[in-house]
Amino acid sequence: MMRVRGWRKTVYHTALWLVALIFFAPIAWIILGAFKTRSGILATPPLLIFTPTLDNFIDLFSRRNIPGYFLNSFVMSLSAMVIAIVVSFMAAYAFSRFKPRITNFLMFMLLSIRMVPAVAVVVPVYLMYAAIGWKNSYIGLILFYAMFSIPFSVWILKGFLDGVSQRYDETALVNGGTRWHVLFRVVLPQVAPGLVAAFIFNLIFVWNEFLFNLILGGRDTTMIPVAFSTDLYSDGGLNWTFIAAMATAYMIPPIILVYVFQKYLLVGMTFGTVRGEV
Amino acid sequence: MADIRLEGVRKVFGGKVFAVRDLTLTFPSGSVTCLLGPSGCGKTTLMRMIAGLEEPTSGEIYFDNERVTHLSPSQRHIGMVFQYPVVYRGISVEENIALPLTHDKRLSPAERRARIESVLETLDLAPYAKRDVSTLDNGTRQKVAVAREVARQPRIILFDEPITNVDVSSKMQLKRALKRLVKQHSQTIIYVTHDQTEAMTLADEIALMRDGMIVQRGVPSEIYDHPSDRFGGWFLGNPGMNFIDYRLDNGALVGGLFAQPLRLNQTTEAHILVGIRPERLRVQTTPAPNWVPARVRRSAIVAGGQHLLTLEIDAITVKAKVPESLRVEEGETVYVACDPDDLTLFDADGHRLQARILA
Repeated sequence: MMRVRGWRKTVYHTALWLVALIFFAPIAWIILGAFKTRSGILATPPLLIFTPTLDNFIDLFSRRNIPGYFLNSFVMSLSAMVIAIVVSFMAAYAFSRFKPRITNFLMFMLLSIRMVPAVAVVVPVYLMYAAIGWKNSYIGLILFYAMFSIPFSVWILKGFLDGVSQRYDETALVNGGTRWHVLFRVVLPQVAPGLVAAFIFNLIFVWNEFLFNLILGGRDTTMIPVAFSTDLYSDGGLNWTFIAAMATAYMIPPIILVYVFQKYLLVGMTFGTVRGEV
Repeated sequence: MADIRLEGVRKVFGGKVFAVRDLTLTFPSGSVTCLLGPSGCGKTTLMRMIAGLEEPTSGEIYFDNERVTHLSPSQRHIGMVFQYPVVYRGISVEENIALPLTHDKRLSPAERRARIESVLETLDLAPYAKRDVSTLDNGTRQKVAVAREVARQPRIILFDEPITNVDVSSKMQLKRALKRLVKQHSQTIIYVTHDQTEAMTLADEIALMRDGMIVQRGVPSEIYDHPSDRFGGWFLGNPGMNFIDYRLDNGALVGGLFAQPLRLNQTTEAHILVGIRPERLRVQTTPAPNWVPARVRRSAIVAGGQHLLTLEIDAITVKAKVPESLRVEEGETVYVACDPDDLTLFDADGHRLQARILA
């Protein structure tokens, strides 16, 4: 019996490793490439043993516009997320507690907004932004990303808030607290995992966003994904070491976030339903 | 301390479900009143209206002479303990109790400290003071929730079935702590429960509720011994009262439980329900004059080491609680008698009759 189980486990683990390797190979290639020379990166067969160089990173960050792209990515994704989380938390609280008559319909609408392919709304959004004059503006992009992140966050947070007994709210109200006190001092700490999950999921979405940044953004508001396409060429060809170095730098923040907050991401994916509490 | 006065309070949900029907009553200042009734009788709704968590459809609520009907919960200065222990996780027992106090600017730190110490003492929480509440069991968490409300010293404290969700072993302990607490403090307390033993032990007065109305109010023994309504007799006691249908024969109760006809002083009713508590029926194994024979259909052991017998007397079935020492087998014949003073008489609609049995 034990032996059968041990044998199955080996197969299972081998399969997992295989899948992980297949998925990880391109990432390994790009990370290794970032430390190679321009001739080394295109060598066939690929060089596995080589003398690493930091020249590519030095080149990357000494270009005038690159730090700006990184800054844009950081500022826009973080501020869009802060706005989205505050709004979603309050909206989810309202849905969870006051249960407006059309809650289910509204929640369905929210989700279906998120289901619409982004390309489908490019034209109307572009025309709106052009009319308002928000093209290539921070505020415009931040609000757009916040708007795009809210539906998903409301869904996650409503699941978490439904798991927090209303008796908490009522006790705090009876104890002399105001509704704001209830929201931010009593309920918020209890759904912290949900907030973190919603925050990270959407942050990664904005971090990776390309289409709207290309269409609605401009020279001042370019983020890293768009920068890849615009700063790709140099010396008449694809600059592979540049791409590799920027991709590596670009990957680091999400990797750190996911690593630090992985347990919240798991509860976030289950919409908070695993918290079978009061 | 404050008395709570309800005037014609009504709550209707969705236009047709009457949770509370036009209640007018006063909960006296400094007393413990238990609202007792089966699930769905409106007791929790009534409580939530007093707390301000639910607004009455009509009617007014007063604390002393202050009208509070439309005030928010926080403006009413009351305490409330819910069925589920509400505690703030991640902080210690002490911090949980201190939390609402820190917002009260009138309290000096010394006084705050003194209140916390005192309530920790009363509820046996001192050993847990520094523990994180998430590490405690539900019973202790509920104590913390109670302690937090008591420490605030509100004029009124509402308890909404605080013991229901606590496991059996902590139940007794929590009950004892609550009893000590209500003795020490003179706050006006309303305690909602569907557990009659809880109500009997804690209450100065019980208000028996059914279908959104108060059926009877009184001290526990009065409600138990003299239910004003068939419902009270049935709901209280475990099991509830026996009810036996009698057709009056020349103004007397004849047959069944009674070896001799029992004459009543008022004879306007044609039908009478005779109520008797199972523990008031006297049962013995040897025949005696004026004792009627009965066949034991079932015998079961109940809490307290007593036996619960299901007896058949002619066509009547009654339940009797007897001491364990009375050894009887199913199918055996026993002899039954009752004291006329232990009988409660109801009319056909289940309302208590003033009629007395003539000696």
